[in-house]
Amino acid sequence: MSIVVGYIPTPEGEAALERAIREASTAEAPLVVVNSTRGDVFVDQRFVQSDAAKELEGRLAASGVEHTLLQPVGGHDAADEVLDAAETHRADLIVIGLRKRTPVGKLIMGSTAQRILLQAECPVLAVKA
Amino acid sequence: METFDLLMQGFSTAATPMNLLYAFIGVLLGTAVGVLPGIGPAMAVALLLPVTYSLEPTSAFIMFAGIYYGGMYGGSTTSILLNTPGESSTVITAIEGHKMAKSGRAAQALATAAIGSFVAGTIGTALLVAFAPFVVDFAVSLGDPSYLAIIVLALIAVTAVLGGSKLRGFSALGIGLAIGLVGADPVTGQQRLVFGQPLLVDGLDIVVVAVAIFAVGEALWIAAHLRRKPMQTIPVGRPWMGKKDWKRSWKPWLRGTAYGFPFGALPAGGAEIPTFLSYVTEKKLSKHPEEFGHGAIEGVAGPEAANNASAAGTLTPMLALGLPTNATAAVMLAAFIQFGIQPGPLLFDSEPQLVWALIASLFIGNTLLLLINLPLAPVWAKLLQLPRPYLYAGILFFATLGAYAVNLQAFDLVILLLLGLLGFAMRRYGLPVLPLVIGLILGPRAEESLRTTLQLSAGNISGLWSEPVAVVVYIIVALVLLAPLVLKVIRKRRPQSVLAGNVPLGVGETAADNDGVVAGTATVSQRDGDRVRPDSNRDGDPTGQGPDEASGISDGTEARHRAEEIKHEREKS
Amino acid sequence: MKQLASRLKGRSELGIAALLGAVGLIVILDALSLNVPYSQADPVGPKTLPYIVGALLLVCAVLLAINILRGGQGEAEGGEDVDLTHPTDWRTVVPLLGAFVLNIAIIDTVGWVISGTLLFWGSVWALGSRRYIRDGIISLVMALGTFYGFYLGLGIALPAGLLEGVL
Repeated sequence: MSIVVGYIPTPEGEAALERAIREASTAEAPLVVVNSTRGDVFVDQRFVQSDAAKELEGRLAASGVEHTLLQPVGGHDAADEVLDAAETHRADLIVIGLRKRTPVGKLIMGSTAQRILLQAECPVLAVKA
Repeated sequence: METFDLLMQGFSTAATPMNLLYAFIGVLLGTAVGVLPGIGPAMAVALLLPVTYSLEPTSAFIMFAGIYYGGMYGGSTTSILLNTPGESSTVITAIEGHKMAKSGRAAQALATAAIGSFVAGTIGTALLVAFAPFVVDFAVSLGDPSYLAIIVLALIAVTAVLGGSKLRGFSALGIGLAIGLVGADPVTGQQRLVFGQPLLVDGLDIVVVAVAIFAVGEALWIAAHLRRKPMQTIPVGRPWMGKKDWKRSWKPWLRGTAYGFPFGALPAGGAEIPTFLSYVTEKKLSKHPEEFGHGAIEGVAGPEAANNASAAGTLTPMLALGLPTNATAAVMLAAFIQFGIQPGPLLFDSEPQLVWALIASLFIGNTLLLLINLPLAPVWAKLLQLPRPYLYAGILFFATLGAYAVNLQAFDLVILLLLGLLGFAMRRYGLPVLPLVIGLILGPRAEESLRTTLQLSAGNISGLWSEPVAVVVYIIVALVLLAPLVLKVIRKRRPQSVLAGNVPLGVGETAADNDGVVAGTATVSQRDGDRVRPDSNRDGDPTGQGPDEASGISDGTEARHRAEEIKHEREKS
Repeated sequence: MKQLASRLKGRSELGIAALLGAVGLIVILDALSLNVPYSQADPVGPKTLPYIVGALLLVCAVLLAINILRGGQGEAEGGEDVDLTHPTDWRTVVPLLGAFVLNIAIIDTVGWVISGTLLFWGSVWALGSRRYIRDGIISLVMALGTFYGFYLGLGIALPAGLLEGVL
């Protein structure tokens, strides 16, 4: 039983992470942080590396919650990675951040959040920045 | 002042709005391909060859010149921001440049690289203007025996000096020469290696070969070993330098230029040695030697200037003698042949307008680079967000399109595929591609000279060394071939000495106190007595990332080895 | 197991030596088949260089074979975007070659716009992109754009194939 959170270093991601830490400490459940990349771009600003990764670990440790940081580089979409993590860790709750999207943007880019909302087997908490 | 007049005429050709536009496109494309990992100026020029068919040769070469200089510039940008030296010549820049960027001085590192490139490129081009006519005069006075000797020297030097394994270099050279044989013999009309294929009678299209080796082979090779992990970039603002940075930069720029130009002009001189020499010199002369290894601006300014000056130097033998000494120059020579222009000493006489417009456009391109790129650095960093599949699919797409557009024959695509697979296999098994391309370009010219030489001597083989220059050049060829053997013997006697000479002390040093990721740098090669390959640290993970990879066992032991070796080197010096 | 693998790897490089030897042999045999009378004006003739090149290739082939059998190994080329820590990824390369071959096979009949679209789309897919619709649109735009670009800008008429009359 655990809580899975999709994390990217943006305001939405931070909001989701903060909320997930709170949820995890009240429920006393282990927290699984997923920060993935498809690995198909040269530079992915949403992927947390070296210094930033250490900092993230530090923050999680400071929160006192039992935690795991997953950083899959598997060529899959972020939605798949979060859903996979939720399944393997038998999540009670998935926390994600939402950002504002124009209808056109949604049409072209598809939506990670939307896929998680539709396909998750457990409740999903969507946090806005 | 004849040269000056010609140069001014060149400027008037190069400064027409159309040609300025091509120069602009050239520097933009060049910088873009320099920034993008996996694509370099040689590949970019090769891919553009077919597109430039219908252009004026002058316009095409103005664009190519822009790509050449732009590629240098773009390469230094990525080596500073990403610590991924794309070419061996920017390895040194990456050492101090990336450290500067990490400590928040990316703007100054980029600025000193850009302005240094401009200074060195401009001085280098001026040196080209000053020296090329002399080289041409000298070359024109030579007979075929000497010219043949010089071609042989160029072939041997590129094959034997560059790259790790001589044997594999000569294998690649042999393949290139064999490809150059295909088609009807120009003297007798005899068909060689045609196998009854009418499409082969005209020989293999040099554009198709260049695109296959540089674009298809490279794209397939990268696709087979695609890096899946994103690199880590350092955000930049607009590059700028303070007064103190200027003060610390200008001398290294000039010294770097002085190292770079002559090495670039030598066959097989390349850019690695001068950038390294510049680095060592700056370290020695600096008032802040303690900053070296932690982001010293001199360590970016000097090598970056040396790199660009060597690029200008490379153009001297290319334009004055028709000898390519690096991949981009080789592809540009292929372009000359494609346009029906015979490269060689007579080029300055037969195509003065083209040559001088090209040289003038180097000055223009250099200035454009500075003007465009200082403000655009953040935009270039954005280019790295391009998904890899699109980049490599695009390379294959344009390679196919270009090779097909030459003759509109699917047969050319079969050749493209076969030679692309050859290029893939060569990369897989460590056969360098440069000797192949240079053999392909110079082979037919060597044969021509050989025939004329022996025709003049009525078949007497002594005609080969009938000129003093030819004798001298053959002696140099012998030295190039024998020197490494002699060195090897000496090294065996003194196994402890650092005879490799060009072992970049600095590289090893930073590698040790780096995040322990620049694996297997030059220092390793002392043990097996092989030549130092400055680009061998590409094999490691130079991106300075990946905590999980970096903490691997092998890295730890490697770092310790290196630390010991460095300590040893320090004691010596 | 590991030993077997490393031996196989060594053998695969022997293929390069074999290739060099074969090319050298072909070059020499081809030169032998040339029939040129000796000419005063051209004492070298068209055969000399092929002999030299063929000999160079044969010597390299032999030396390379010896080098490999003694444990020598070519150093695979690194690069900015090359990760040599994992073996050759045939699952990427083979589909990529498939897209390439398909293009060769159909370009003359169906025309560049269709074959080029398939080439780009197939390559992108092979390289791991899975955004089918976006990739398809980009592929089509690339093929159409180059078709018209070459026609209008360079005066080169790429084959229209099936779409003859439509474009």
